[in-house]
Amino acid sequence: MARRKSKRGPLDYAKSPWLIGFGLITFILLYAPIAQLIAFSFNDSKRNIVWRGFTTKYYAKAWNDPALVEAFVNSITIAVMCTMVATIIGTATALWLWRFRFPAKSAAEGVMALPIVIPEICMGVAVLVMYSRFGSWMRGVETGPLHWLNEFWAIWPPLNLDAFTIARIWNEFFSVWPLNLGAITAAHIAFSFPFVAVVVRARLAGFNREFEEASKDLGASEWQTFWNVVLPFMMPGVIAGALLSFTLSLDDFVITFFTAGPETNTFPVKVYSLVRRGVSPDINAASTVLIVITLVATIIAMRMQAPSKTEG
Amino acid sequence: MTYTPKFRASRRSVLKGSGAAFIGLTMMPRFAMSEEEKKLNFYNWDTYIGETTLADFNKASGIEVKMDLYADNAELFAKLKEGNPGYDVIIPTNDYVERMIAAGMLEELDKSKIPNEANIADAFKDATFDPGRKHTVPYMWGTMGIGYRKSKVKDASSWSAVLDSTDHAGRISLLGDGESVIGVTLQYLGHSFNSVVPAEMKAAEELLIKGKKNVKVYADDNGQDLLASGEVDLAMEWNGDVIQVMGEDDDLSYSVPKEGSLLWQDCVCIPKGAPHPQNAHAFINYLLDADAGVHIADTIQYATANAAAKAKMDEKYTGNPGIFPPDEVIAKCEASLYSEEKTKLRNESWTRIQAA
Amino acid sequence: MENWKQNKAVFWVTALPGVVWLLLFFLIPLALIWGMSFGEKTSIIDIEITGTLANYSRSFEAVYLKIIWKSIWISVISTAVCLAIAYPVAFGICFSPARWRPLLLLLVILPFWINLLIRTYALIAVFRTRGTLNFTLEWFWNLAFLDKLIGPFQPLELLYNNGAVIVGMVYVFMPFMVLPLYATIERLDRSYLEASLDLGASQWRTFFSVTVPLTMPGIISGIILVFIPMLGMFLVPDLLGGTNAIMIGNVIARQFKQANDWPFGAALSFLLMYVTFAALALRAFIGARMKGGVGV
Repeated sequence: MARRKSKRGPLDYAKSPWLIGFGLITFILLYAPIAQLIAFSFNDSKRNIVWRGFTTKYYAKAWNDPALVEAFVNSITIAVMCTMVATIIGTATALWLWRFRFPAKSAAEGVMALPIVIPEICMGVAVLVMYSRFGSWMRGVETGPLHWLNEFWAIWPPLNLDAFTIARIWNEFFSVWPLNLGAITAAHIAFSFPFVAVVVRARLAGFNREFEEASKDLGASEWQTFWNVVLPFMMPGVIAGALLSFTLSLDDFVITFFTAGPETNTFPVKVYSLVRRGVSPDINAASTVLIVITLVATIIAMRMQAPSKTEG
Repeated sequence: MTYTPKFRASRRSVLKGSGAAFIGLTMMPRFAMSEEEKKLNFYNWDTYIGETTLADFNKASGIEVKMDLYADNAELFAKLKEGNPGYDVIIPTNDYVERMIAAGMLEELDKSKIPNEANIADAFKDATFDPGRKHTVPYMWGTMGIGYRKSKVKDASSWSAVLDSTDHAGRISLLGDGESVIGVTLQYLGHSFNSVVPAEMKAAEELLIKGKKNVKVYADDNGQDLLASGEVDLAMEWNGDVIQVMGEDDDLSYSVPKEGSLLWQDCVCIPKGAPHPQNAHAFINYLLDADAGVHIADTIQYATANAAAKAKMDEKYTGNPGIFPPDEVIAKCEASLYSEEKTKLRNESWTRIQAA
Repeated sequence: MENWKQNKAVFWVTALPGVVWLLLFFLIPLALIWGMSFGEKTSIIDIEITGTLANYSRSFEAVYLKIIWKSIWISVISTAVCLAIAYPVAFGICFSPARWRPLLLLLVILPFWINLLIRTYALIAVFRTRGTLNFTLEWFWNLAFLDKLIGPFQPLELLYNNGAVIVGMVYVFMPFMVLPLYATIERLDRSYLEASLDLGASQWRTFFSVTVPLTMPGIISGIILVFIPMLGMFLVPDLLGGTNAIMIGNVIARQFKQANDWPFGAALSFLLMYVTFAALALRAFIGARMKGGVGV
């Protein structure tokens, strides 16, 4: 009935005033605190309760705080590395669980869901315990890779380096940026790729396998079929998953907190330590910069991949 | 055939011989004693150091200090418990110092490298939680009390204002640190802060549950912000935090309740496994310097244990009863003593209070 | 579905990265903690795994069950509100012109690239007694001369209660609901909707009988992604909740921090996991019976 009266088609939900209104209100609610945050980053007051005039000095203050800038760069580096790896692993996992029937499949599904299920703090502590034990094993001269290296040098005298030198080279290698972030990144990947898998698999559930069959019948290889048929179909899911893992990594505080050391602080960990006594305007300024950087980067990325994008 | 095992055996023995050397090397700091890289990782509370102290130290010694912040002792302990991730200097509070010494997590200080030790006030030369001051030097000390808005609150001289009164219902914040809240409640009831007597603990728990309806929030470390922003009129807080916001708002004040309160002392220590112990000693020595101490105390408004620095401070600081409470108030205060049992009982009790 | 033996190469290529990564960086550390949940503290820092069940039996004390129950209902309400808001939003995005979609999706995600804590503090700044919302209301109040008629504006006390915790949770977890919904609604075959409408079903009827069942996989993934992390959340109740706001996440966090009782914290965490696993298994069982077959 309604559709006869209105000029719009029955499926033009995007033109429904109700939906538009609802969406608008949601966006306003979503952005009100952010808008306030951005406004406060220009507020000339430390306490941020009332407006005391415009200033950009907090941007300068944030920029001149090397620890904050370093944490900031670390966070973005980790999030980018994590997103790339987690998206690939998560997509592979989704394909695996979607495509194959194999013994103990439900067990595998359950295990893959573990990182989603586990309380963050528990995983944080788990990672802390593992890295501290694993780390001393890795660095110990009598255990692990260093020990093997020593054994190797011992039977190969021409390069007879002593254990101390090897240990130093080894430690310095792993303290070079961004390798020193490797531990945090690895943990981030571990908890974010199952999220990617969930989203991609939800998308794959609607895939008509006959397309795949048809492609193979027409002589396409496994890889060609994946690249030309399956991947374009699941692309929206992959993008959604990538966004999710980027978000998760960039925002993670609890797990990173336990993994981070003095040389490997991330922005949320830094922020956490700073905001316990109220958010200062320079934190608001840094957040504003973060949101602008990610916004610009994402728009550029979207532009770049737009031509090859297939419409659903 | 017979040759190979012999070769292996000899190689093994060579390795065994050098094994001792390897251990020796790994137990040494990363660079040899004389030549330590000019860096220092400092793990500190927020707003707990002079504004230019780190830069001044860098100018004086060439050592670059990197400071990370923790929100509470528990966080510091949890992070160092499984091994030091690379911090050189930390500032835990007395009961945690005791705990960390018991757990073997602190390095003994080489006092010959800390000549400024002489600046420490006599009262702090020794400590029950660190007999002989082998592991620590004192940094700041203070009390827990009530921060309040003078125009709204007439009388904050007793813990009853926040624990046992409906006069300011919904306008009160207590600390989120259950161990301390239960401790001062015990003091209000006339018991010891450190009591683990079941009947006394139970009475405190019941009082806190009864008083819950008057309390707006258990604030982790931002009671002074809630106070300053007008969200509450009474806040159980650490003295220095309240004094910092008092500087911005004349209507705020601080009192140590007459029933007595918690007396705490933060100490500078070097955790085991610190990568730069030489620099750490130099830094500790610098913190005890008279002028550096003046600058720190001036910024953070806590009571310094550095007598030489205190002597150089003005009357506004040394005469402030919020910073240096009168002796009769201190006489009623107690220090928190470390005990695993107390920690366990208090945390269980605190969970019950919050769930009630 | 293919039998894995038909194409072993692809099977291993897709299976190994996830399995190996999970094993190295998740299952091994988790196993350490799992062992700890059967352990006892022998000193301040040492924990010995003795196989005791004391930590688990302690978890069943009334006070912890009460807190778990509270966490569950707070999470259920928050998830429901999240779904009620996210579904129309995702739906609207999917039915908007194709070139707008990435931008709209980005707009939903964008707030979540601001740190959780900063976002929560921003919420506090909006809702506190002397916050933006109260200032705005007061302005309108005075504009309408209500201050002359009724009396001065009384600021609303919006923070530090369970309502604030729910609002905070919804705010924090929104994208985790929108994204999977978007991924499924986007591939919805619109001819079904047209058929339903052509056959005379109303828009609402079409929505509930056709659209919702067809997008069920997305709804379920969204619920899983939102509900489960909510259960273990401790920062939001910490910052927005009042004196009653304790959730199981707070208790667990306290065991690992203040209480320094890692074995008990581990036991509580795993208890939470066992419960969620039972729920997931139950769902899979029912799903299999109804021939749903939806992911993880």
